[in-house]
Amino acid sequence: MRASINRPPTPDVDEEKRDEPTLQDIINIKLIESGEKENLKELLRERLIECGWRDELKAQCRALMRKRGRSNTTVDELVRNITPKGRAMVPDDIKAELLQRIQSFLMSVAL
Amino acid sequence: MGSGEAAGIFGDILDAVIVDVASEAHRAARLGFDRRLNTEEEEELRLSAQARAIVGESVANGDTSSKYTIDVFGQLHPAVASEIFECMNCGRPIVAGRFAPHLEKCMGKGRKARIRANANINLSQQRKVRSSPLPSYFPGGPTHTSVSSRTPPTQTSSLTPEDTQKSGLDPNDGTSEESHDDDDKGQRGRIQSGAWQVQTYL
Repeated sequence: MRASINRPPTPDVDEEKRDEPTLQDIINIKLIESGEKENLKELLRERLIECGWRDELKAQCRALMRKRGRSNTTVDELVRNITPKGRAMVPDDIKAELLQRIQSFLMSVAL
Repeated sequence: MGSGEAAGIFGDILDAVIVDVASEAHRAARLGFDRRLNTEEEEELRLSAQARAIVGESVANGDTSSKYTIDVFGQLHPAVASEIFECMNCGRPIVAGRFAPHLEKCMGKGRKARIRANANINLSQQRKVRSSPLPSYFPGGPTHTSVSSRTPPTQTSSLTPEDTQKSGLDPNDGTSEESHDDDDKGQRGRIQSGAWQVQTYL
């Protein structure tokens, strides 16, 4: 019973720090609720598979795992390692296509 | 508004896709079903370059006009599939390259097949219409069994003799040359089997 007395204070204090949801948050929520985020993700995935980006990135993962030993590498390590490469490898036209779709979504939400 | 957020969102989505790739590669390696993990990198590059070369040289030489297509393993494939198998509809042995046109005729998309199918339907409709009211008036029932037993196993010309027999139908008798006094059910069963026979003409 004593343990319960020592629990951390209820987060009344934090309430003030937390702002109203930012614009970014609102957009994100709308994206997810409408299902558009999922659509965009699928579209991006498809395009990246078509252009071979995914295979290249997987090869990078494999190379890394060969070096560090199969059982040693964690997902985190992999992600940390390949994220900058992955971002750089995205072809420009695919990036443009996705950005355009996001833009039109933002317009349609009429913020 | 606009591009800043859009780029941010794009980054989000891209990150998610990257994590997917990483987790899948990781899982494959950990569970041991990634074959490529073991082959050295240089070997992999060499193999893929080799495969590309095989396809590339046949294209560059203008070989694509020949009857054989060559795939990345160096295997040759003839332009028209030559394997022979059985059609599941009619049971005939068919060359694979000619299967589609055969199915058209066999299954009824083509003109002749459709005409034949319609003729069969009309026939069976006529028989059903003529047979059903009669048994209630004449308990002995007219004997249509001759129709089914007489139908010759050859083609469409058989329809016309049957039609003329039908048109000469008396309420009493129909076309009986055999006179069994069957049940109604028996007759209907037989007529239906007769119709079934007609349908199986080729």
